[in-house]
Amino acid sequence: MISNKIFKNVFLVFLLSFVLSACATQTRKVDTQMQGDVYTGTDTVEYLASGVPDRVFFATNESVLTTASRDTLRKQAGWLRKNSDITVVLEGHADERGTREYNLALGERRANAAKDYLMTYGISSDRISVISYGKERPVDSGSNPLAWSKNRRSVTVKAN
Amino acid sequence: MKKILLFILFFLFNVSKAYCLIEVDITRGNLNPLPIAVSPLFSDSDTKQELKNENNISKLGEKISEVVENNLRRTGLFNPLEKNAFLQNPDVAHLKPRFEDWKLIKAQALITGQVKFVDEKLRVEFRLWDVLAAKELMAIAFTTVPENWRRVGHIISDKIYERLTGEKGYFDTRIIYVAEQGPKTQRIKKLAIMDQDSVNTKYLTLGNELVLTPRFNPTNQMVTYLSYFKNLPRVYLLDIETGIQEVVGDFPGMTFAPRFSPDGKKIIMSFAKDGNSDIYTMNLENRIVNRITNHPSIDTSPSYSPDGKFITFNSDRSGFQQIYVMKSDGSNVKRISFGKGLYGTPVWSPRGDLIAFTKLHKGKFYIGVMRTDGSGERLLTENYYQEAPSWSPNGRVLIFYRETKSNSEGKGFSAKLWSIDLTGYNERQVPTETDGSDPSWSSLLSN
Amino acid sequence: MSKSILLSSAFHALIIILTIVTLPFVAKKPLDLPPLISVELIQISDKTNIPFAPKAKKIIEKIKEKEKKLVSEQAPPKKVKKIKPEAIPMPDQKVEKIKQIDDKQNPEVEDTKIKQVSEFEKKEIFDPTNIAALIDKSKENLAETDIKSNKITQSQDKSLNNVGLTLSEEDALKAQIFGCWSIPLGLPYNENLMVRIKLKLKPDGTIIDSEILDHARMNKPGQNFYKVLAESALRAIQLCQPLRVPSTGYERWKDLQLNFDAREMLEG
Repeated sequence: MISNKIFKNVFLVFLLSFVLSACATQTRKVDTQMQGDVYTGTDTVEYLASGVPDRVFFATNESVLTTASRDTLRKQAGWLRKNSDITVVLEGHADERGTREYNLALGERRANAAKDYLMTYGISSDRISVISYGKERPVDSGSNPLAWSKNRRSVTVKAN
Repeated sequence: MKKILLFILFFLFNVSKAYCLIEVDITRGNLNPLPIAVSPLFSDSDTKQELKNENNISKLGEKISEVVENNLRRTGLFNPLEKNAFLQNPDVAHLKPRFEDWKLIKAQALITGQVKFVDEKLRVEFRLWDVLAAKELMAIAFTTVPENWRRVGHIISDKIYERLTGEKGYFDTRIIYVAEQGPKTQRIKKLAIMDQDSVNTKYLTLGNELVLTPRFNPTNQMVTYLSYFKNLPRVYLLDIETGIQEVVGDFPGMTFAPRFSPDGKKIIMSFAKDGNSDIYTMNLENRIVNRITNHPSIDTSPSYSPDGKFITFNSDRSGFQQIYVMKSDGSNVKRISFGKGLYGTPVWSPRGDLIAFTKLHKGKFYIGVMRTDGSGERLLTENYYQEAPSWSPNGRVLIFYRETKSNSEGKGFSAKLWSIDLTGYNERQVPTETDGSDPSWSSLLSN
Repeated sequence: MSKSILLSSAFHALIIILTIVTLPFVAKKPLDLPPLISVELIQISDKTNIPFAPKAKKIIEKIKEKEKKLVSEQAPPKKVKKIKPEAIPMPDQKVEKIKQIDDKQNPEVEDTKIKQVSEFEKKEIFDPTNIAALIDKSKENLAETDIKSNKITQSQDKSLNNVGLTLSEEDALKAQIFGCWSIPLGLPYNENLMVRIKLKLKPDGTIIDSEILDHARMNKPGQNFYKVLAESALRAIQLCQPLRVPSTGYERWKDLQLNFDAREMLEG
């Protein structure tokens, strides 16, 4: 009777540990690409210079800069300070899951969030212009959460 | 005197009591489209010959009645009957229909007509008959240049629609939209215009720059739209007839989401600056710019009420995109959408009683309507992605666009125009030569 | 004190400079405009004009010549260039003639209007009087029936009072009319959609006379839909006749009122 109980418990523990491990592997998989719903991968990222990524990513309907985004923008600011003749365009984008007009405004808001951060690191605003493409220029055509996370972005593009 | 009155009263009471009329309530019927017979407009042999010589349009009468028939069928309100079943010849029917014959094939209404060629001009006359009541409902004739035969068909359709539904028609109208081509990441977009029945498509821009959200002036054939010309997204004004266009206002940043005021004299739009979008108007006559909203949130997609006294728009000032109504000077801002989900692209109905919108809830997009105080929300259609409803000029039908899912290569993606009746019935795709989006319905070309 | 003023003015200056600097578009020149293809629109209404075919050709040719000139003169920035459709990278696009018709240049304005021919105009375009006329007749008749029925009711008072159709009789009649009534789908859904029709019947169920009780409403402005609804109800009765009436008790139902209410159907 007791042994039977122990056996049952052992079996349960095993079962639960399997479930847990399954969970763990799944979250790890997503972790490599997204955190929350902010893209953290590097598939689509290009570089303005060695070690200076060109884009930052946003959560759905958000224009708040994440820690990673601020890190990226600081690198960009550093690079811009070194190359004081370069002007940039910040291109704000949204994913396809919103109305066209709202997305235009959202893209503009995202690009400006990036611009404001660059300005606080000493980059003059006359070197930065801003344009919003809304949802008109996605990088990933897919209709899935990962593709959308890649498209919610502000990209710093050399203008000269 | 009193006695007489009492007597009368007593008498009346007595009669009403005695004369007890049986009442039967009929609360159901069929919602089948009205069976209508469109007899081909006939032409005499002389006219036929002349038409052939002048315009290469043989069988013009049949073509006009085909336009009428297709228009009526697309409304979902009428069921044009099979022509093969018609027992009476078009010419005889036009003079005096044998109503028994038309009753036999279950027609409830009948359209007959004649095409003539007089002094190089086309003369089209038609009659609408009530088959069951055995009487003529209306008769109208037009003269015009032969090239206009399609428009004659549309105008006839409008007259018939108006007589049989009690509302103005919407057939002699055009639709302006954005024609799309190419991969999703590098979409080429052009302004395109076509007749309401998808015929006569013309492209107004070359596709060199991104163009979005064209909207008709409700009073004439002007259009306002967003163009990325020289990578500066700005609202433009375009006169379709002359081809003259101009930038609207002199804003130091992106202007977008334009729409005309109901009198056609102002453009209302959003202006985005430093991450904040607010609503502005510009008077097209004196070029005066007015700021309507001043709020750190995104305020966009403004649309006037038909009397010009109110504006509806969407804003995320509550934290999420919702629909608001305010007075046209920007005062008295009131949120009207309180359902679950996000609400956008509000458009005031030309009748004034409803606002059409796009709703996003649990990953699905809906086109719906609500009363102007936000009550009586009705969702007309649900899909993976659809938005941007535009009203037919009579406020009866909504046209919008719908996109399909795609994989990472963009396979499976399409953008198409669709229309749906206000009742939620009669959803149908509006054919376009290429993919299409952002449709806007013109007002009636002839009034 | 002076220190704070200094500081304040310094900051103000900074802000002013910042605003000047951050308005990069102010100084820019006016935009050139993108090329546009103009499109011929034909106006057909009474207000607008259609060029008479041969004249139109001439005008178009004139305008084409003008355009050629304009192009050779090197267009100013605000002029709209005409670009040949072949230049558009659209495979399936038809080559269109680019026409521009200026109404003001068209001397044939009056002639080209679409006219409503008089004989037809007279006949009737929208004829509200037609139905009204019918109603008037039926009213006269009704007056007679009223008198008659009064006589009858007096003599057969008991049998008439509170005796309607039995449920099954009513159901049979309803079911028949349900099948005949095509509810117009274009009706507004938030209006009173009740049409009351009074009928005078023969013993076999055919209709001698019908009257719409609220006929005044039919010709009110903004109530066009009501007329349409009323007509649909009349059609339903026409289509259904002879009505499925009980085989006995003619005196009970020789006058019958049908209340057509579309609201339930349209809302449901």
